[in-house]
Amino acid sequence: MSDPMFDIKAPGVDAEKLVAEIRAATEQKLAAGVYADARIARAERLNLAHLRDADEFLNFYLKCLRDAVFVDISDFPIRERRRFFGPALVALKKVIWGLLKFYTYRLWSQQNQVNGLLVTAVEGVDQKYAAKLQELERRIQTLENQLAAASKAGKGT
Amino acid sequence: MPRADRIAFIAPRFAEGGTVGGAETLLKNLADHAAAAGRQVTFLTTCAQSHFSWENTLPPGRRQIGRLDVHFFPVDPDRDVGEFLRVQAQIDRGVPVSARDEVLWIQNSVNSRALCDYLKAHGGEFDRILAGPYLFGVTYHAARVWPDKTLLVPCLHDEVFAYLGIMHGMFGSVAGCLFNSAPERELARRLYAFPDAKSSVVGMGLDPFEADPAAFARRHKLAQPYVMYAGRREAGKGTPLLCDYLHAFRERTGRDLKLVCTGSGPIEAPPALQEHILDLGFVSEQEKREAMAGAVAFVHPSVNESFGIVLLEAWLAGTPGLVHARSAVLRWQCAQSNGGLWFRHYPDFEEALLRLLDDPPLRHALGAAGRAYVRQNYAWPAVEQRLFAALDA
Repeated sequence: MSDPMFDIKAPGVDAEKLVAEIRAATEQKLAAGVYADARIARAERLNLAHLRDADEFLNFYLKCLRDAVFVDISDFPIRERRRFFGPALVALKKVIWGLLKFYTYRLWSQQNQVNGLLVTAVEGVDQKYAAKLQELERRIQTLENQLAAASKAGKGT
Repeated sequence: MPRADRIAFIAPRFAEGGTVGGAETLLKNLADHAAAAGRQVTFLTTCAQSHFSWENTLPPGRRQIGRLDVHFFPVDPDRDVGEFLRVQAQIDRGVPVSARDEVLWIQNSVNSRALCDYLKAHGGEFDRILAGPYLFGVTYHAARVWPDKTLLVPCLHDEVFAYLGIMHGMFGSVAGCLFNSAPERELARRLYAFPDAKSSVVGMGLDPFEADPAAFARRHKLAQPYVMYAGRREAGKGTPLLCDYLHAFRERTGRDLKLVCTGSGPIEAPPALQEHILDLGFVSEQEKREAMAGAVAFVHPSVNESFGIVLLEAWLAGTPGLVHARSAVLRWQCAQSNGGLWFRHYPDFEEALLRLLDDPPLRHALGAAGRAYVRQNYAWPAVEQRLFAALDA
């Protein structure tokens, strides 16, 4: 049938070059820790399946997870938006939170424990398979070298 | 082969009214243009309108719709939806299924024995039979009736269903394929060793239009910049990912960037983002075009596209695209046209969006390049030339 009658590469800006520049900029920022942000790890949850072949990004993602894994339930400021009785309401909320904190502590510490174990397990699996792959690649290289040497020797005779 | 004068088009639904999928719209438009060029076109389809229930809501029979002689056939009422869903769930999870289960799955997909019977009786009257998209029982079984004169319009995606053995059989038996893009053809070559000699890249034509970039914002009193998405809102199209990214973008950069959506389906977005989304639902073409024209970028986060009609429309509106790098087709379109950028992950997305926001001349240059590309390659005369070359080959 027919070949595609498409005009290849419209003139003007160069999208490939722009994307390459953007990628260079993000690599630099990744190395500088600009994206070490739990919000990115959260936003990336649906994209993970598409990042299977991006080794560097998986390492970065694991780093984000490690940063975000331990939840601190005391890290939020207690505020009140209503103008009237604002200070009194804040004081009341602080008292209620002080009373409830004790009961939520157990749940919170268990969640942190589970989160920590999960990240450790994921990192462990990642390292284990990375090491296995490295070993396999090394073996393939050795076998290829042996094959090349054998074929060279065969040609020589 | 002599000129193919008598052509049958087959699609599971007939695109009348604008709420059917892109593949059906594509087939209907190709049929319309073939008829307008003086070819005798018959369109075979089912009585169903909903792609959820596949209920026979239209009366069976023959109707003249515009230039097309359309034949409506009932969907088989005896399909076992339970069996279909059982096997489909397995395939979807990547669990290998037996050849018997593959057959069971396609037999309980959307089928029409009446349509196939008609084709058996009248197929000899056609020079060419065009059927698509590939994933439906209607297409699969119709392609088996007269394979030597059938051209598939597969709208093929790199998805688990494309790897089934029955699909190998179907692609291996037909006379040829009309692909929407070079990456789609490349996918068929990779999956089925589909020969280039039997394939063409045709696509769909778009009529150029002019749209006022300020009209939409003015009408909706939108003072802030916005990005746009148009189409079905579902996980498969990547809209939840777009919402998560935009939420992170707003939080991290402090930029007040809105999201304007048209199309159908619920928008799954973080609660804090909801108030920054303008969900228009179904809108007129003019409203959609003006919304596109005023956007900072048209974001297409889907990784499974065989064409990307809305991206081409956004280019016609002069707006750059920002697409997922995993979509071979959308990325190819952006690289070919120089009309858009692509992202692999959030950091790329943030960096690209900041560039587009802060550099209006760059935005306009990308949009203009996209527009020139669509006008040159997807104007109807160019598409017709490719279509007729494929039909008459």
